[in-house]
Amino acid sequence: MTRSRGARCVRKAWVVGLKVFFATDIHGSEICWRKFLNAASFYKADLVVLGGDVTGKVMVPITEHNGYWQVVLGGEKVRLDTREELADVERKIRNRGSYPAVMSPDELTELSKEEGAVDRRFSVEMIASLDRWLDMADGKLKGGEIPCILNGGNDDIWEIDSVIESSPCVTFGEGKLVDLDGFHLVSMGWTNPTPWDTFREAPEEELAAKIEAVANLVPDMERAVFNFHAPPYGTGLDEAPALDATLRPIHGGAVMKPVGSTAVRDAIVRYQPMLSVHGHIHESRGVKKMGRTLAINPGSVYGDGVLQGALLELNAKKGKVTKYLLVNG
Amino acid sequence: MATEALGEERPALFLRKATGLVRGWSVRDSMIYACLSTNVVTLGIYEFSYQSFIPKGQLLTSVLVSAVWVSFLVVAYAGLIVTIPRAGGDYVWQTRILGSGIGFVMAATGWWFILWLWAPIYGNVLSAEFFQPLAAELGHPGAATWFAGHNGIFLVSLITIVLAGVLVSIGMAGYARIQKWCFYGGLVGFGIIVILLLVSSKSSFVSSFNTEAHKIFGVSNAYAATNAGAVKSGYVSPAFGFSPLGASMLLIPMMMFYLLWPNWGSTLYGEIRGASDFKRVFRGMFFGLWITVALSVVFLLLIAKTFGNDFYNNSNALYWSAYYGGKVAPAIPIWPYPVMFVSWMVHNTVFQIVLILIMSLWFFGWVGTLFLSSTRVIFAAAFDRILPDRAAEVSEKRKVPLYSLVLMLLPAVGLSALYAYWSKFYTYTLDATLVIAVTYLFSAIAVVILPFRKPELWAASPASKIKIFGVPVVPVAGVVTIGLLGFNLYEWLSNSAYGVNGRGSLYYMLAMYVLAVAIYVVARLVRRRQGIDLGLINKEIPVE
Repeated sequence: MTRSRGARCVRKAWVVGLKVFFATDIHGSEICWRKFLNAASFYKADLVVLGGDVTGKVMVPITEHNGYWQVVLGGEKVRLDTREELADVERKIRNRGSYPAVMSPDELTELSKEEGAVDRRFSVEMIASLDRWLDMADGKLKGGEIPCILNGGNDDIWEIDSVIESSPCVTFGEGKLVDLDGFHLVSMGWTNPTPWDTFREAPEEELAAKIEAVANLVPDMERAVFNFHAPPYGTGLDEAPALDATLRPIHGGAVMKPVGSTAVRDAIVRYQPMLSVHGHIHESRGVKKMGRTLAINPGSVYGDGVLQGALLELNAKKGKVTKYLLVNG
Repeated sequence: MATEALGEERPALFLRKATGLVRGWSVRDSMIYACLSTNVVTLGIYEFSYQSFIPKGQLLTSVLVSAVWVSFLVVAYAGLIVTIPRAGGDYVWQTRILGSGIGFVMAATGWWFILWLWAPIYGNVLSAEFFQPLAAELGHPGAATWFAGHNGIFLVSLITIVLAGVLVSIGMAGYARIQKWCFYGGLVGFGIIVILLLVSSKSSFVSSFNTEAHKIFGVSNAYAATNAGAVKSGYVSPAFGFSPLGASMLLIPMMMFYLLWPNWGSTLYGEIRGASDFKRVFRGMFFGLWITVALSVVFLLLIAKTFGNDFYNNSNALYWSAYYGGKVAPAIPIWPYPVMFVSWMVHNTVFQIVLILIMSLWFFGWVGTLFLSSTRVIFAAAFDRILPDRAAEVSEKRKVPLYSLVLMLLPAVGLSALYAYWSKFYTYTLDATLVIAVTYLFSAIAVVILPFRKPELWAASPASKIKIFGVPVVPVAGVVTIGLLGFNLYEWLSNSAYGVNGRGSLYYMLAMYVLAVAIYVVARLVRRRQGIDLGLINKEIPVE
């Protein structure tokens, strides 16, 4: 579907406080997206923010035959005889963060052989799914009454930016200053380089320049919120299993190492916003006080269908986070 | 909808380039971790020495039955790990499946408070298997007995606590490398012992033992004196074999002291998964457990052959009898460390010292993990706002989790003093196993009810695909695990032979649960006053 580009639906915040729900890295999990849309009413939040890595990593082909469909789930070939069965399996696949892709056996064979075909099909499925999600958002966010800010992460393809931009009820945060009537939110979905060479990666110097560009938009750091996908380096919010050269976790996965961004860390130390929210490293759920800044990574367990997030209460008068709670919704 | 086995070559799924798509961890690495957790030298041999508390029990039988039973626990935990692969293990599973309060109380008691007691236990093992034999081999029997005394045990416990604290501070990265080399070095040491026991006859051992015991401790005919002393103290060693089964079953609650931990690394596993991960996770723990069992069986068989089964049991029985106030003094006044006795078969002090040092790698390769899981639990509880935020603080300069170290180390120092100077408290050693078993019990319950509490999560888990005759194996393994833990808990709490069902021991354990419940209740109240509802932490957001 097409959408007219709407005005940002960020409503006026409370005079003093603002209750924010922040989640991140749902990676295509439809159950997590539905929960995210319900989070505002569930937690009585004034604003919901999704920090990036919206799209999934896995596509599950479902082959269409004469009067039935076939799919491999958990190592077992499953035959689906009715449309209801097909819809149920598609729902389960989506809830796990994967994309069901219905195709003929010949298409599947071609997909495996032709170079770039898988990436193209991935893009089609990702965009279609995101489009559907944004349609859901229109209803759940009461036509923009509940402000919602979405951003890309390093794993998200470029094509999602324009899709999110075109939504009338969701604000695409990347590179912008979003004024929340007393609070200033800036977003950046880029990360420092990873071993997987993903879409929005840049060396630390480049990252620092991007951060400076968005930070310069902020009129008052006392009431600023950084929404940066990469967590700050060496803060405990960025601990991932150490890998060997073949991307195998070393020492049984017991050894963790910091993999966050030094540019993000330096920016927090330098600008001292009231709050800095992050994602990217799913297993590094945590909170870190960095001077006057409260830095948070709620982590992600999207594969379990659980939406991890952070409930935050911001106080404009005090210019600080007065309450926070990490939740597994 | 119908399912059938895969037969064609078309891809079942496509992955795109994205963060975190890593290969599964190495089975060898997790196997080493599991093998060091169920440590045959530091925990196994130490616990074997308590055989006389169930005088008719057969060590070999109890080790084998225990291992078969614990294998079910491995299956149950592998199921939990691949279904909810989160660092934090029991804490995460139980809070998610059973609720926040139960999860906190079980994790705080089983992975934090009770580790305070493990510190002096480790200290005692270090004294018995390192300082005492080293001092003896170096020709200082007085120093050796000092290390076996109150002050010696306390000092070595403090050394252990400092060592573990430093290793937590420097992190696992460097230590994991050390750990691996310690494991290989320890295996070499074990191999040397096996060869020596294999090639030596009983008579040559008796002769060597008498010679070295006289040289070091000035005791004449120590072998015969040990056997005579045991008889005089009223102990009769069972003939080497497998029966009686009943008495051997009663040794199982003791064997848990070393065989209950193949899943120790489960608190550390993060978000690493793949289609074959169940097998990978299972194999790591299972082979780790059964390597320990294989080493134990080899050790017991060769000891029986070369030391003589009676002598081995007599030396242990006599030592503990004297320790707990028996009137017959042992011929060897320090803990009868079999490695030291084996080293005496080569009349060369340098060799004897080197063998003790090599075998101490089993200790040093493991001690660093003593407080590792406690840190994880303290951090997770602080992030959940149950503990003050400071508990999860890490100093900027030195990267040391100062407050969590204080929460772990200070009580451990206090308990070490009790352990060293109050012999009654010393009998509470198996409390350290019992409290963790209770935590495991709740995880076993969680795995049994998982398919009902979280049906979609269970259906999507690789664990749900493991079936025998159409019956899912993991929940059944959970039921068997409940049987294992229930049996042990019943025996610990009803049989005074284990030293943990006395009033003092029960009060001590109860105090830990009361403390955990109190912390949770106070946290709920304080946070509520601050306008933070901790009840929201695990409340599921509606989907529709």
